[in-house]
Amino acid sequence: MTWLLDIPGAALFAAGIALAVSSLAAGEGPSWGAVALILAGGAIRAGAALLAHAVAIRAAQRVVAGWRARIFPRLLAGRLPRPLLAGESAALAIDHMVAIEACEARFRPARAASAAAPLLVAAIVACASWVSATILLVTLVPFALGMILAGSAARRAAERQLAALAGLSGLFVDRIRALPIIRHFGAEDRIARQVAAATREAADRTVAVLRVAFLSGAVLEFFAALSVALVAVYCGFALLGLLPFPPPEKLSLGHAFFALAMAPEFYLPMRRLAAAYHEKQLGNAAMAALADVEAPAPAPPAAARFDGLRVVQLAIAWPGLRIGPIGFELASADLVALTGPTGSGKSSLLAAIAGQVAPAGGAVTTARGDALDPADIAWAAQTPLLLPGTLAENIALARSDATPEEIARVAGQVGLDAVIAARGGLGLMLDHRGSGLSGGERRRIGLARALLSRRPLLLCDEPTADLDRASAAAIVALLREVAAERAVLVATHDPALAAAARLVVAL
Amino acid sequence: MSALALDPAGRRWLRRARIAAILAALAGVLLLAVSGWFLTAAALAGTAGPMAALGFNYLIPSAAIRGLAILRTAGRYGERLFSHQAALGAMAALRAGLFARLAAQDGRTGPDLAGGDASARLIGDIDALEELIVREPVRSASWVAAGAGVLLAGLAGWAAALALLLLLAALPPLLDRAARRLTRQPAHDAAEALGALRTRYVEYAAARAEIAAYGLADRVTGDLSRFAADLDAARARLHRGEGVIAALLAGYAALAVALVLRLADAPAPRVALALLVAAGAVEAMAGLARTAFRRAGVAAGLRRLDALLALPEPVAAPASTEAMPLRLGGLDLAPGARVAVTGRSGSGKTVLLETLAGLRGAAVDAAVGGLAPAACSGAMLRAQFALAPQDPALIAGTIADNLRLARPGVDRESIWAVLRVVALEDRIGGFPEGLDTRLGEAGGTLSGGERKRLSLARALLAGRPWLLLDEPTEGLDPATESEMVARLDAWLAASNTGLVLVSHRRAPIGLAGNVVAIEDIATSPCRTRV
Repeated sequence: MTWLLDIPGAALFAAGIALAVSSLAAGEGPSWGAVALILAGGAIRAGAALLAHAVAIRAAQRVVAGWRARIFPRLLAGRLPRPLLAGESAALAIDHMVAIEACEARFRPARAASAAAPLLVAAIVACASWVSATILLVTLVPFALGMILAGSAARRAAERQLAALAGLSGLFVDRIRALPIIRHFGAEDRIARQVAAATREAADRTVAVLRVAFLSGAVLEFFAALSVALVAVYCGFALLGLLPFPPPEKLSLGHAFFALAMAPEFYLPMRRLAAAYHEKQLGNAAMAALADVEAPAPAPPAAARFDGLRVVQLAIAWPGLRIGPIGFELASADLVALTGPTGSGKSSLLAAIAGQVAPAGGAVTTARGDALDPADIAWAAQTPLLLPGTLAENIALARSDATPEEIARVAGQVGLDAVIAARGGLGLMLDHRGSGLSGGERRRIGLARALLSRRPLLLCDEPTADLDRASAAAIVALLREVAAERAVLVATHDPALAAAARLVVAL
Repeated sequence: MSALALDPAGRRWLRRARIAAILAALAGVLLLAVSGWFLTAAALAGTAGPMAALGFNYLIPSAAIRGLAILRTAGRYGERLFSHQAALGAMAALRAGLFARLAAQDGRTGPDLAGGDASARLIGDIDALEELIVREPVRSASWVAAGAGVLLAGLAGWAAALALLLLLAALPPLLDRAARRLTRQPAHDAAEALGALRTRYVEYAAARAEIAAYGLADRVTGDLSRFAADLDAARARLHRGEGVIAALLAGYAALAVALVLRLADAPAPRVALALLVAAGAVEAMAGLARTAFRRAGVAAGLRRLDALLALPEPVAAPASTEAMPLRLGGLDLAPGARVAVTGRSGSGKTVLLETLAGLRGAAVDAAVGGLAPAACSGAMLRAQFALAPQDPALIAGTIADNLRLARPGVDRESIWAVLRVVALEDRIGGFPEGLDTRLGEAGGTLSGGERKRLSLARALLAGRPWLLLDEPTEGLDPATESEMVARLDAWLAASNTGLVLVSHRRAPIGLAGNVVAIEDIATSPCRTRV
């Protein structure tokens, strides 16, 4: 609503001009009062612009902060309808937020102002000339009709076409991404011609659509100009005393000039709104995409004690990935391996079992068939999460109340003693990249964390990938040991690890 | 060639847009001027008595006012349409030119745009440029409106006109400086903060499973909020900068009007005209302010695009299509030989295949026709190898589009023949649109394994002496796998095609007569791209 402050400024400015002109017409010199009014009006408008921008961005960023608070935990830890690539997830969490910020900072304040500001302008004009105010208000009727005609049907059709055209221009992005393979097959000349033809066609067809889409802008422009012209013509004839009807009001030059100078302000808020239309579209698209992610997953039923894992007819069907249905059982002390080559969906299946993404069908339950408690599941990742802090703190991420002795014990269990001894003990400071740690050491931190959590079901994603033979064998031995007292499910394509498992489920 | 250079048609549309913009701006200024003059003159005539009022020529001004209102509308519409026409055409030409230029580069040395971030930035740069062209005509219109304003202000005396001239002449450099001051640092900070936030976010997104399992979302969100706060602060400064520019213009308009008023020396109607014209002329400069602001923001993108356009145009050397012998590690392979490469994952098997395919320039202990792959021209490697990569690398389009990528103008007979080899003929034959089925739409027509087999069919169609297969049977059930391996075996024998295979699975490895360990080939598994 801060844009409304602009209107008193405009009114002072108009009053200054009107005062100056009427005193000049009366044969007096230009008054200092008029100059003061003009400058004061300009100062208020300037202040309003500063304030409006500052307030708008603060409000917009508050909205974005709210979105982040809801979406970040959802994207980084919530149950998702399908797994997202890190890049996709970042686009949702970062780029879409920028679009929402722009929409909130530009479109929303403009829309709020566009509802109230014209009425305020008309009210101020009415103080000088109620007929002029009425003229301004009356132009709203054909303006609204024109917007409905030019705006709704035609524009909606145009927007549909523009969406279809986005696919045509999307070709460019797709072919840029596919450039390596296009070059490999020596198809660059052909594809370049195809891209040229497609972008040309997209441009030509877009122009045809814009002809219609810009009509609503033209309607707005027309009535903005017409309202000024009508006020000028009415006031001129009224001042001449040549109105074809009895004069409804007694008009002085000062009043008439004030009405004229204020007339452009009447449609200004709507023009500002139209200028922010693009931001609105992008912002709405972003909010729609985020709303898809945000849609609440059904609350899981009350969880029961873990007594083994049962996977029944679990199936995954996402674009580009189809797995299952598969089924297997895992006793409360057991080792089962999910195998398949890289990219076959082992990690996605583990995530579905952990309840982090929604499967297409099937059920994941305890052995008795009750719901699985998420707090019973420990996860040892291929690239474990490291937060800036000490090694001990990073191991204890899974259970913050663990004692130093417990941490030291699991660290020894996973074979991290060498690191601890060589590099300053459990107090070793780590950055989030884990600089100075080898892949095997990081993997062990993830395992230590999982062990420390004391959770009865351990899911391990490729625990031996990228490790040399000796470290891989050590990890396999460790997992065997763990499987003596817990349920361990590993996703792996390592035959040695698969051989250690009681059951191998091939994808 | 600069990214901003337009072709003759684009320049023509831009010229039309400029004319329309100038007409609109002139009509806008004149509408205010004539209205102000008309009102004041009418008031004077009205007070002078009925005779003076009747003698007053009201027809011309009142008609002019209505005409100018229509002209302003038409001008604005024309400006928007023509400028978009110019920009869309220019951007189409730019995209086509950029694509041709990028496609002609050797993938081993050219800029890498396959990543999501790099291509997204390229698209963003082009879009920003489009906006710059769309706004271009407004700049000339601003100048013409300012000039007209000064001339019209002259009706109120030379002093007023001179003052307005000086004020308007000082405005563009002032706006330019202000825009640069207000945008440079925050735009830089915002880009840095965005990059930092994205990097950290992607790291966390990769560790999603653990964050979810151990309930660490709050900690991680808290850590990210520091980066988000930096981004917000920089973007808020940018937005407030726009407010400063708007405030500058508002204050400037008041100053111009006040100065013209003090310096005017003419009858009241002319002064009224000059006052409204002064306000209108400054307002017309708002277009200049917006472009100045945007220009400062897109300068970096423009530089990036110009750098891409300045890439050298490599000369294509024709390469022999005759089959050449291959050496991998210590193993010499004659054309038609088959070899499986084994080794741990992450040990560089994929890198080896991509190096042979000419997609990257890693150092490997291999030779094609006696030459190290890095020493071979891209064209020579392409003439020898057809790759079915680990990620199927399909393009958006139909199944036939994807297959024709490898061999233009191939007939349907040959297409179905290779689809039979990869055991996809029933699946694709079952689609209502057959080969013309579009891929990559929501829901995914083909599964991951099927997409890989389509990619394999494409490599078969290319008809190169050597086939490079990366995990070709991944995601297949054993029955389909053995079926496909048998058909592939027959196809390789019939066409006397050599094979370099990477796989974890036993069945496809059975295709190969030789096995070589990757440890003997990969001397440096990392990329050596410049």
